[in-house]
Amino acid sequence: MAPRVVVIGLASDFGCQVQMTNIEDHLLEVLGLIDLTYWQLASSGHMPDEYDVAIVEGAATTQEHLDLLRRVRETAGVVIAIGSCAVTGGISAIANAAGIEEGFALVYGERGRVALGRVAPASVVSVIDVDYIVPGCPIDTDEFLHVLSRALHGLRDKTPRQPMCFACKTRENVCFFEKGQLCLGVVTRSGCHARCVTLGRPCTGCRGIAPEANLPAARIVFEDHGFDAERALSYISLYNTNEEVVL
Amino acid sequence: MFFRIMDRSRMPDLVRGLAAEYEVIGPIAKDGKFVFGKVEDPSDLRLDYDTTLLPPKKLFFPPEEQMMRFRVADNEVVDDEVYAAPRVVFGLHSCDINGLLLMDNVFMRDYEDPYYRARRESTLLVGVSCTSSETCFCNAWGTDEVHWGFDIFLTDLGDRYFVSVQSVKGAELLDRHVESREITSEDTEEFQSVTAAFKDSFSETLDTSQLPLLLDAKFNSPMWDELGDRCLSCGACSMVCPTCYCFDVVDRLAPDQKSGARERRWDSCQFGEFAAVAHGQNFRESRASRVKYRYYHKQWGYLSKFERVLCVGCGRCQRACLAGISPREVVKALETGGVQ
Repeated sequence: MAPRVVVIGLASDFGCQVQMTNIEDHLLEVLGLIDLTYWQLASSGHMPDEYDVAIVEGAATTQEHLDLLRRVRETAGVVIAIGSCAVTGGISAIANAAGIEEGFALVYGERGRVALGRVAPASVVSVIDVDYIVPGCPIDTDEFLHVLSRALHGLRDKTPRQPMCFACKTRENVCFFEKGQLCLGVVTRSGCHARCVTLGRPCTGCRGIAPEANLPAARIVFEDHGFDAERALSYISLYNTNEEVVL
Repeated sequence: MFFRIMDRSRMPDLVRGLAAEYEVIGPIAKDGKFVFGKVEDPSDLRLDYDTTLLPPKKLFFPPEEQMMRFRVADNEVVDDEVYAAPRVVFGLHSCDINGLLLMDNVFMRDYEDPYYRARRESTLLVGVSCTSSETCFCNAWGTDEVHWGFDIFLTDLGDRYFVSVQSVKGAELLDRHVESREITSEDTEEFQSVTAAFKDSFSETLDTSQLPLLLDAKFNSPMWDELGDRCLSCGACSMVCPTCYCFDVVDRLAPDQKSGARERRWDSCQFGEFAAVAHGQNFRESRASRVKYRYYHKQWGYLSKFERVLCVGCGRCQRACLAGISPREVVKALETGGVQ
């Protein structure tokens, strides 16, 4: 029997679910392997009570989200968190950087209406244990397919753990630090083929801090190039507010 | 080997002549630096380059490469055959030619790598003399000279090139595509003085005496912990190294899960998972042990098998390392007992 799969979106711009639709060349092949019982972006029905695999995008921002995630963890054999919001908090959780109340007032002013049961934004990974992650803003379709394939075959998560400078070197980019620009590639989880930096934009850290990154050493690199730790941390907080980063 | 003299003004003739028969790859400008890339016109060729971002190993052992395809249902395997177009890599410095010779030991000696060999055998190498830069230390290993492994080597004598011809193919190409003349004793003398000036141009000469012994004697030195604290574990050093040959092998299934491909990618011993094995064991879990391993392998392990160190002193790793770790510094620390 094909595994029953649900795709759930929490607080996010649904960009990662849109990326899933962008797998158009292979979407039908993938759908042939699974029983897609619910896809929030594309279905109007309700989420079923039983399923085997839950793919979750977005960050939890309400009590309802937190309850849903716990229910998902109890129900699904496999949980896959996709995108920065679900993995590291991402843009959805950026409010945590300034403090949720201050951030809310800044964006919505005094007349803003607070969602029922609002909680401080939290990545899926910080709320429940997940089995696989697909980091990035948005996700890379190839990587998503690869992770889904591993999940379907019961293979362990193999998301790269090292920072991405090595990938940047294979693309023969000139290091942004040499050009006097701050680049987070030195601490950011690889697996993106150094796409942004190859297109001429320094890394903003959307894939999260690499588990193998050497943060104290990176601090020295930042400082040696004229970027104090505070500046580097504020840059890092764009996508990474859900876990405390200490340089 | 024999020698000829070619006028500097003839260089475009030679490049155009080669381009008529081969794909010509050489140092070209990229974003203020240089890379080995396709030479569309002789004017693209930047023989005044200091070094390239990636070494020429990428032309023989690409960063990512598919090795075979397989079908899941019946385990049918189709090997990928490498079609390597005839080409010339033009303008290699002696360090990089030496680097390829060290790679040859790995890919074509005890173990046959058909992917590497196909590209290597379809490629002619044209070397060119260089000037030392601040990060160069080829003089420490004797890789500032190259005696074999190229087809033609051009030593810049100002208004002309002193051409060392090493292969029959090289002789044919020179004969067919460019006007050259016999050498005179003046040419040879000038060649000698240019070579001597090059050797004198290095800012320092590393003391590499007893290096393998020192590596063993200082196995537990705190210098490795200090280097480990600095290392970013980013693997940049391995990628830009002309002699780092480690790769990871990955099987990927196609989206329909019915077929797949086996790929290899450049790997680095500086990655945490490099020495991880089944059951979660890891022989080199600490950064310090991984940095140490890099030097042990290059200056001792390879040496014990092939009688050369696995470093050609090109300085690319030092340029690429944001933490400023360089083999020069490590060798000095071994000799003097401390990291600066």
